[in-house]
Amino acid sequence: MIHVPAPDPFTVFGVAKSLDLDARALERRYLELSRECHPDLNRAANTADCVAVLQRSAEINDAWKVLRDPWQRAKALLEAKAPGVLDRNKKLDPMFLADALELAEEVAFARDDALAPLQSRLDQALEGDWQQLRADLDAGDLDAAARTLHASHYHRKALADLQAKS
Amino acid sequence: MAYSDKVLDHYQNPRNVGSLDKDDPNVGTGVVGAPECGDVMKLQIKVDDHGSIVDAKFKTYGCGSAIASSSLATEWLKGTTVDAAAEIKNTQIVEELSLPPVKIHCSVLAEDAIKAAIEDWRKKQAAAKGAAAETK
Repeated sequence: MIHVPAPDPFTVFGVAKSLDLDARALERRYLELSRECHPDLNRAANTADCVAVLQRSAEINDAWKVLRDPWQRAKALLEAKAPGVLDRNKKLDPMFLADALELAEEVAFARDDALAPLQSRLDQALEGDWQQLRADLDAGDLDAAARTLHASHYHRKALADLQAKS
Repeated sequence: MAYSDKVLDHYQNPRNVGSLDKDDPNVGTGVVGAPECGDVMKLQIKVDDHGSIVDAKFKTYGCGSAIASSSLATEWLKGTTVDAAAEIKNTQIVEELSLPPVKIHCSVLAEDAIKAAIEDWRKKQAAAKGAAAETK
């Protein structure tokens, strides 16, 4: 079988390649697309059609998972706009990484009374990352946007660790 | 996927965890990260006047293989020379820990950390020599 790379999730949904997508409109679109290619409503005349419907259905579900999550959407956006840009910008500032290490340590050893302040600090950091990402994209600097997205991963991971503790 | 016994051993009893004074001119610090998995590794070496590594410490935030790779790296670094340390290859770590293909990037991170620590130490040495030459 020939492997055809899946189109980017924006193309699958037929929406603009943009960071800001309206959550409700996106969900409506998902339901619409799901209905269109629901296997029950697409009685395939032959096996090839059947495979096509199933593949399209899987693409829609995968795209939905990506688009509904703002960070995954941002990642897909960068890859769609400039393939390989995330791979090219994996080197982060050592100072930032040292801070990220300290943060991870802080989360790991945080006692109960430290959890809430840490949570609001991480929320703030991620809010800052998001604004920076938007600014990078607005400026058309995709390399900077890729680095910002990579940096945000450390904050997201720390937040997940923190939430796993409580 | 199962971790090898050696990875588990380093993960459960990591060697040389901790920090050295990063402002010490004889200490080189390397901090590197793998942002796609959110891992970060800090590796430090302390070098004597003969270019021998007398101490090595690490701190790693990441998976078992990343911790084992950096723990093993510090074991190898202690007692060797800076020049020999610069020759350490990630493939040696892969072999020693029997890392599977999906974890090879952890060994690459460890090699990068060693190189970054050496580079930091060399920069400090060059700066110190430059300062010494100026005061003469």
